[in-house]
Amino acid sequence: MFAGYDFDVIQRSWVYLFRDGMTFTLTLTALAMVGGIFFGTLLAMMRLSRFSILSYAAGGYVNLMRSLPLVLVIFWFFFLVPYIGAWLIGAKDPVKVGSFMSCLITFTMFEAAYYCEIMRAGIQSVARGQVWAGYALGLNYWLTMGKIVLPQAFRNMLPVLLTQTVILFQDTSLVYVISATDFLGAAAKVANRDYRLVEMYTFVAAVYFIISFSLSLLVKQLQSRIAIIR
Amino acid sequence: MISIKNISKWYGSFQVLTDCSTEVKKGEVVVVCGPSGSGKSTIIKCVNALEPFQKGEINVDGISVGDPKTDLPKLRSRIGMVFQNFELFPHLSVTENLTLAQIKVLGRTPDAARDKGLKLLDRVGLMAHKDKFPGQLSGGQQQRVAIARALSMDPIAMLFDEPTSALDPEMINEVLDVMVQLAQEGMTMMVVTHEMGFAKRVAHRVIFMDAGKIIEDCTKDDFFGAPRSERAQLFLSKILHH
Repeated sequence: MFAGYDFDVIQRSWVYLFRDGMTFTLTLTALAMVGGIFFGTLLAMMRLSRFSILSYAAGGYVNLMRSLPLVLVIFWFFFLVPYIGAWLIGAKDPVKVGSFMSCLITFTMFEAAYYCEIMRAGIQSVARGQVWAGYALGLNYWLTMGKIVLPQAFRNMLPVLLTQTVILFQDTSLVYVISATDFLGAAAKVANRDYRLVEMYTFVAAVYFIISFSLSLLVKQLQSRIAIIR
Repeated sequence: MISIKNISKWYGSFQVLTDCSTEVKKGEVVVVCGPSGSGKSTIIKCVNALEPFQKGEINVDGISVGDPKTDLPKLRSRIGMVFQNFELFPHLSVTENLTLAQIKVLGRTPDAARDKGLKLLDRVGLMAHKDKFPGQLSGGQQQRVAIARALSMDPIAMLFDEPTSALDPEMINEVLDVMVQLAQEGMTMMVVTHEMGFAKRVAHRVIFMDAGKIIEDCTKDDFFGAPRSERAQLFLSKILHH
């Protein structure tokens, strides 16, 4: 059945695939997750703010990002970020932004919208009385959020946050539209060079499956271990 | 110490408090009672600005609660509050619950805060549980920790919002005992409760509320002896006959 295929191509190229491609993919995933959760949490706090201008601004941003296809946003930012950068620092020429930086900014901003909705649910899952108790002790808004509400919100939402991160891990493969060399991109290059498309893409699929599936199992395990004693 | 003048409050178009006025002097224990929905929890939350009010004025130790310029966190840190559902922080240990605000708000050192917290924990008889999490304690124990947490801030007055309503009957007394002791030591207290035994024992005054209004505001003896309003008589006859 596999007579016409040459799986040696994997053996010849896997070092390159993982060293260049997977490093890009994992670094992008990890940094976009950290950045996305950070900005997503800020957005969630804005959305729940009693100042309507903040909540409308955050709500508008989240709805905009969630209404656009990710590929489009990647494209758009790739061409726009150099100009925005130039405008921000007042330079005449577009700023040179590497494809990795461009991807990182895109994914951070895009995922922030999704993490925002998760954190919003998390913050709302913490009983109103907890906020009252914090305020009653004299804690201000930031201390009440930072010491009481957010730690509980994170714990309640950790499984969902990680599930979203697994999705992010898969979505990073879309950077192929700007020819960035992530894991899939690296494999595509080898596949096209050696004309071994079926072999390479099968291998890539298997690797994505193993990583994503293991992460989901890990999430399930974590879920039972981190629950707050009530 | 606490003066409430002509307070009115609305949720949208629904009026929850109508022109309420009263005063709590230093060292006085005032019990607030009334049927559910009468606004007694709301008025006590107005005292430390957890609930905003639209009309009237509340002063605590001479500081106006409704004034936008008032440093609310600072004011609140001087008023202890105990909630119906305890509201201990479930992700922190008992000791951390007791020390968090002391360190972050009063700027005490962790050691000083711990000493103070453990002393109060000992006072409510829960020293053995200092390293546990709130979820590992019974309701009565949690409420005693919550009282110790409020006391750790050295408050000038204590507010209790139905502190025993969420407790199993056999745990009510352990909490009331702590409160009685506190009252006997001269703490200024405003207590929303249905525990008329507590009121009879330590209250100086009783306030009876119904439908957002203060119907009776009189000494304990007057209230239990001869309540003037029909509504209060009915209320008392209902809850005292069990």
